[in-house]
Amino acid sequence: MEYELFSKDSQELACHSLALRENIPNLLPAKFDLKAAALECRFVASPSEYYSLLHEVTIKTAELQVSGALTPDQRVIQAVEALDDINENINSLSERLSEWYGIYFPESGLGGEALAIFVAYYGSPKNIGPENPLYPKTINSMGAKLETADELLLKGFAESVYSLYERKKQIEYYIEDRMRYISPNLKLIAGSILGARLISIAGSLEKLAAFPSSTIQVLGASKALFKHLRGRAPSPKHGIIYSHHLLNTAPWWVRGKIARALAGKLSIAARLDYYSGEIDPSLVEKLETKVRQIKASNPQPPQRMHVNETKNKKKGGSKCLK
Amino acid sequence: MPKVNKLYEGIYEVVKDKKQLATRNIDYGKVVYGEKLITFEGIEYRIWDPRRSKLGAMILKKFNIPIKEDFKILYLGAASGTTVSHVSDIVSDGAVYAVEFAPRSMRDLIGLASRRKNIYPILADARKPDSYAHLVESVDLIFQDVAQPNQVEIATRNAARFLKRTGYLLLSIKARSIDTVVNPIKIFTNELRKLEQTLEPKFEILCVKDLMPYHEDHLGVLAKLKS
Ligand SMILES: C[S@@+](CC[C@H](N)C(=O)[O-])C[C@H]1O[C@@H](n2cnc3c(N)ncnc32)[C@H](O)[C@@H]1O
Repeated sequence: MEYELFSKDSQELACHSLALRENIPNLLPAKFDLKAAALECRFVASPSEYYSLLHEVTIKTAELQVSGALTPDQRVIQAVEALDDINENINSLSERLSEWYGIYFPESGLGGEALAIFVAYYGSPKNIGPENPLYPKTINSMGAKLETADELLLKGFAESVYSLYERKKQIEYYIEDRMRYISPNLKLIAGSILGARLISIAGSLEKLAAFPSSTIQVLGASKALFKHLRGRAPSPKHGIIYSHHLLNTAPWWVRGKIARALAGKLSIAARLDYYSGEIDPSLVEKLETKVRQIKASNPQPPQRMHVNETKNKKKGGSKCLK
Repeated sequence: MPKVNKLYEGIYEVVKDKKQLATRNIDYGKVVYGEKLITFEGIEYRIWDPRRSKLGAMILKKFNIPIKEDFKILYLGAASGTTVSHVSDIVSDGAVYAVEFAPRSMRDLIGLASRRKNIYPILADARKPDSYAHLVESVDLIFQDVAQPNQVEIATRNAARFLKRTGYLLLSIKARSIDTVVNPIKIFTNELRKLEQTLEPKFEILCVKDLMPYHEDHLGVLAKLKS
């Protein structure tokens, strides 16, 4: 048998090992024994040398594969999950800030990012000059006196909240930017953030493209369902696609139909993005036409009697639960 | 003062307040997943939680585990290496070929393997043994815990390729991952029939038990090739 030996460099061997994976049935006999072959042609001097080289090569190979596994959609998934965490924190910290600052300046009427900027900048309402539109409100404020120590704390806290708002914008910008080329059709129909969330819940663009549209329609509901089962939330009616503007602005009685149409188009978009990458602007038009049709053929809510029936059923149900 | 009883080759029971399963730590002083270390007569033991390991549960359910310190083992479904680390303790003079297809878990497994010379991490799909045939030698034992549909097919396909004629198969079958509606007993009977009769190579079943109370809806199976 003729052969040529590879060099013993583990990096190089790892590359050979990767290249082999797809082709083994063609290249190697069925019960090929690498250890025996390596010893026989003196590639290694002893079994123990074989094992330590194999150890190095398997680790190197796995490292190469793991670092190669970071596809662009995985980066966006990390970003959108970070965004959700930031949003959760922003909500609770903003609430804390308005509760806290409300003791000293309840009349401010500010909240969220505006309040964070305001407090970080001015601190005590005493520092506001007549040029500021809120000045008149500070004069007759029923707020308590803000002492220096508390003012320092509040300012620092507000700065942190404000910087979270900045991080949030930075991440949103990143997602916008990446979605443009990872999943342009999904971006057109769902918007960048909702599109990225769908990919994140599915696990990858590949998986999202493989889901039937009925699955896409309820994607994200399971999280809510678990929360509900643990008694921390009302029962979920639908998945995250309900945050889409076509749905959350539609009258309730056509939402089911619109959700189905939307999920169908999202599924087509994900497949286009995964398999061809070509942009099809007509998808959005088709969806909008479909939604108009649905609304036109269902202008009125269903019969009143019907509503009562379902309401009664619900009541009965909740009684059973109690 | 703890007491130590040997259950099988490399597998111990440490008695200190209560009985606990353990292996001898070959990576001195290091903990893998938050388990306890107990030293007795100069030997460090790692406590092995059967609730976090199908193999650990099988041992406590008195499966007669055929394992020796120089065994070569093919481990399918290694995850981040919780159980693999104990197997690596047991076959201190052998090898564990640890196959896992999730990159996230593989990251942890690589970390583990770089500290333990007898773990060979392989990122691959266990349904395609061809794709790692060049790395894995003939083995004395295949252990499989993949929690996937067609678990038995995966096991036999790997056995055909890698199991020595005298080798054993240890299998954890999860009812839920095969079919969520059908009654688990039916699923289990069906899977066992596949193992004994339908698929190639055929196996002789040596021991079957559920893994309660450590794991719900799981069946442990010990089998060897039909002669
Ligand atoms: C229940 S966990 C294994 C836990 C592990 N045996 C332990 O006790 O530490 C199942 C693992 O099998 C992996 N897996 C599932 N199907 C696989 C396949 N076809 N090939 C390789 N790994 C697979 C999963 O990614 C998961 O990490």
